[in-house]
This record gives sequence, structure tokens and C-alpha cells, in this order.
Amino acid sequence: MATASPSVFLLMVNGQVESAQFPEYDDLYCKYCFVYGQDWAPTAGLEEGISQITSKSQDVRQALVWNFPIDVTFKSTNPYGWPQIVLSVYGPDVFGNDVVRGYGAVHVPFSPGRHKRTIPMFVPESTSKLQKFTSWFMGRRPEYTDPKVVAQGEGREVTRVRSQGFVTLLFNVVTKDMRKLGYDTGPSDTQGVLGPSPPQSFPQ
Amino acid sequence: MAEVHVIGQIIGASGFSESSLFCKWGIHTGAAWKLLSGVREGQTQVDTPQIGDMAYWSHPIDLHFATKGLQGWPRLHFQVWSQDSFGRCQLAGYGFCHVPSSPGTHQLACPTWRPLGSWREQLARAFVGGGPQLLHGDTIYSGADRYRLHTAAGGTVHLEIGLLLRNFDRYGVEC
Repeated sequence: MATASPSVFLLMVNGQVESAQFPEYDDLYCKYCFVYGQDWAPTAGLEEGISQITSKSQDVRQALVWNFPIDVTFKSTNPYGWPQIVLSVYGPDVFGNDVVRGYGAVHVPFSPGRHKRTIPMFVPESTSKLQKFTSWFMGRRPEYTDPKVVAQGEGREVTRVRSQGFVTLLFNVVTKDMRKLGYDTGPSDTQGVLGPSPPQSFPQ
Repeated sequence: MAEVHVIGQIIGASGFSESSLFCKWGIHTGAAWKLLSGVREGQTQVDTPQIGDMAYWSHPIDLHFATKGLQGWPRLHFQVWSQDSFGRCQLAGYGFCHVPSSPGTHQLACPTWRPLGSWREQLARAFVGGGPQLLHGDTIYSGADRYRLHTAAGGTVHLEIGLLLRNFDRYGVEC
């Protein structure tokens, strides 16, 4: 089965959308999808998902737990366009409309092993005060028509955002044939808790 | 040729006194380096944080370089700006950091600075904003002509950079 000179490498990602911290909001659900470059193709598993609605725990943690599974395998010939997971969190506002509470994205870790990432979540904002008020009143807040823009670097200079929460993700990464293709991904760090840690003032 | 992939995110900035920050970034390399794919420079969104004092940009970076030599290893440079409620922008800090040379994932914290100018300019900045800026952006990442400047500390830019190297061991280069 193992060929002498492979031309494709595989990236297997499993894990979960573990939990979230949104001090101001409750009853949230989450969608995820993967964004990747042209040379990449999914070979197995689901590239998108939508979670249940979760409420805050009735203790000091105020945790929003989804425990939502991720399991997908990609193949590629070129690391350029390495997959990113894009998350969007939704919940009801005071009038019961479903509005977005945060977008966020992070690259799938490179090195094999177990990785925990806490990613900041932000929402786009209107620039004018009047628009801000009417959008609040009508319950139609600014949203991205395609959440995948948060995984792109271009065209972001015009957007104003407000960051208001964090989502914690857990990844288990396995790669195949990367070393055979001449790639050095460095030492595999396991259990590494990488990514920005929430500010100290924030209730854990 | 050996290949380098720089994949990661400009996470955000902390320690700036201003809120509503954004960042203009770029990557500078020596002549032996060729960018095969990806964008070399960009500008992030403007973030107004609701919790804590860290502005989050989550700005993705994905670059693929081919190189014939080690000289001029890529360096990232940043200009952090703050935007007020009228949409006016003011410089908050300049900074640069080298892309790490060992493969793997790295957490980088890049300290920043801004030019101070004369006492008149400092007074004007405190009351009406603005303040001196660099005419030539290359002063951010090159050491030449820095001695002319008088600067003050800004906040810190946080990055998470993953580095993938290809075929370096074929040329006997140890990273």
C-alpha cells in the first residue's frame, strides 16, 4: 500500500468544539466549516456542522458547553492553503430574533498531536450611530453573507468589528507522508495549550 | 530550491492605551527569496474589544516562499493604528519581528514603538492627536538611520506563526 514516492499527503483532524465564553449572551449555538486552498480536497468526514443550543451552566463557571465533534480528513500536494476552521456563533436577542454573536477562525495545527485552541470571536459593526440603532431596533444586525471571509486576509481593512467572546477547540492531528515529501513540521508538541488566553479580568 | 511555508495568524494587540486598533502588516525578504503564492502585505479589521483590553484581529497569513540562500530571512513588520469615533486614524506603534527559523508553531510577541518628536509635537499629540510618523516604512525593519529617532514604547502585537520547511536537510542546512 505504501508507495515509494508519494505525491499526496494526508491530514486527519478530529476533535471537538468544546465550549465558549460569552459573558453577555446566553442560549447560543455554533456552526463550523472548513476553508482551504485549491490544492486541498476533503477525503472523509464532514466539513461542516451545526451544534445544539446550549445555555450557561448555573454555577460560577457560566460555561457554555457544546462538546460538538469534528472529524475530517484532507489530502493535498501543497501546504499552501492549509485548512482553517471557521466558526460562527448565533443566539437570540431581546426580541427573540436569531442574530450572530461572533465569528472566528483558526488554522488547523500543523504538528501531529493534541492541541487546544481558544479563539477570539467578533461581530462586524456598522460605522454610523443611526445605523447601529436601527439595526438594533429592527433586529437585523450586520452579518457576513459568507462567514468564510473571516478566513481571508484580503478586503478586511474596511470592516469594523467588536470582539465579545471566546470559543475553545480541541484538535487531534495526524499527518501522513509529509516527511516523505520533504516537509519538516518541527517537533510534535502534545497537550500544548496554544492560542490567546482570555484576559485576566475575565471570569474563567 | 528549499521552500518555506509561513502559515498563521496575527492574533491581535495588547497594552495600547487607545481602543479601536487596526494593523497594517507586510513581510520583507532578501533578494534570494521568491514568493510563490500568498499575499505579502495587508491590513486588518478594526476591533473594539468588549471584554479585556486586547484587540483581536484574527488575521490569517499564508505564504509560500522558495529560497536560494539564507540571507534575508523573512521579517514581518507592523504599523498599529487607532481609529476614533469620527473615523480619524492615529499612529499607535511600529514594530517588526523575524519569522522564526525552526519549524513548528511559535507564539510571538512583538514590542512596538512610536516616534516622539519635539515637545511641541508631543503637546499637540496629547491635545489634538496626530503626531509624527515615519516617511520611509523601511526604517521599521532596518537598523540604518534609527539613531536619528527618539521613540516611546507602544503596546505588543501577538502572533501565532507556524513554519514548515521543505528540503532544507537536502542542502545540509540545520534549522
